[in-house]
Amino acid sequence: MTELHVLSGPDPEQPGEPEPATYPDWESVYQDNVVGIYQLVFRKVGNAADAEDLAEETLMHTLKTLRLPAPVPVVRAYLVKTARTVLADHWRRHYAARDAANEIEQLPIEIVANPDAVDRAQRLLGLLPDQFRNILELRFLRGYSVREAANELGVTESNARVLQFRALRKAAQLEREVLR
Amino acid sequence: MKDSADRVARFVDDLLHGRRPHRFEATKEEAEAMAAAAGLSAARVGADVPDKAALDRIHQHIAEALDESAAVDRRLSRRAWLRTAGAAAAAVVIGVGLDEVVRSGQQSGAAGSTATLLPDNGAWRPVAAVTQIPAGHAMLVSTASLDAVIVNDGGTITAVSGVCTHLGCKLQPDDANRKLNCPCHQTAFSWSGKVLYYRLKAVPANLPLIPSRVNNGQVELYIV
Repeated sequence: MTELHVLSGPDPEQPGEPEPATYPDWESVYQDNVVGIYQLVFRKVGNAADAEDLAEETLMHTLKTLRLPAPVPVVRAYLVKTARTVLADHWRRHYAARDAANEIEQLPIEIVANPDAVDRAQRLLGLLPDQFRNILELRFLRGYSVREAANELGVTESNARVLQFRALRKAAQLEREVLR
Repeated sequence: MKDSADRVARFVDDLLHGRRPHRFEATKEEAEAMAAAAGLSAARVGADVPDKAALDRIHQHIAEALDESAAVDRRLSRRAWLRTAGAAAAAVVIGVGLDEVVRSGQQSGAAGSTATLLPDNGAWRPVAAVTQIPAGHAMLVSTASLDAVIVNDGGTITAVSGVCTHLGCKLQPDDANRKLNCPCHQTAFSWSGKVLYYRLKAVPANLPLIPSRVNNGQVELYIV
């Protein structure tokens, strides 16, 4: 951090660097938000390659549109609004998923640097029937392949894929109805 | 059901192997399951932490894109002017010629001299009622041509530019400490425009003074 130079007058407040109330330039917007935007987007696409592209698109559009300096809350609100649009467009364009896209556009998503995604997933899994919870825990939390999960659960691979599909749909339903 | 299960399983495999998923036309039910899978994928410990190379790429692309657009409107950017030349540039912003109209004041601040903005096509223009600024207070006013801070120091009215000479952020009066704070970086100016402290690599310029007077109960500034 740059050193504080005191020339004269009353003592400045001695803080750590306070959060700026205004972003003076694009670099400050980038530094303060890039990780939060990346994580916000990652939670909706689940993979790093798409998250990187969509985070960049979100920041790029925001920085080309907003005039700086601008107040922090204004910039963040615009970033979130843009991220929603970018994500909805992603789901429409690549998966023809109109309903999923519409849902994303309505979501109360926000920039959170350290989201409770792990806790939230654990709560979600805890609400699922045993069979559904088991397949999702094996796949997502323990990294089992479909074949390994099928062996563990004593079902065929084909049945494990169907079980996974049904478990994910149930998780989506619970997320909509209970956790949101 | 089996086809949907297979397509979603392939999508999940891509996520869990860190691959960009293949694209396909998903049914409503498939998309629902895929969105849930994306959320669970993000819940894996550390999965949603971007690596440095990704952040560097994003930064580089934005810098390249914005530098191109900045080149187009740099001459119009008030902030860029202020950043480039500090107090002197502020005179340019309000449309006055530097040689004739910016005169260095006699007072010398710790960080250098204090300039006075004297536009040659200026006029005395009322900006506030004097009763709006009690003794011991400072008030930010904005006109079409500039932002200024009017100070009432024990009954004496003065005015300085209301934007920081570093990046052009609007200053915030702090009456209790008789200073003007820049909200963007930890920088503050005295009521007379001198830099009090800053957390920047180089000392910013003092705030330019703006000619002011009280006329018929109105604070007037000499501005364009």
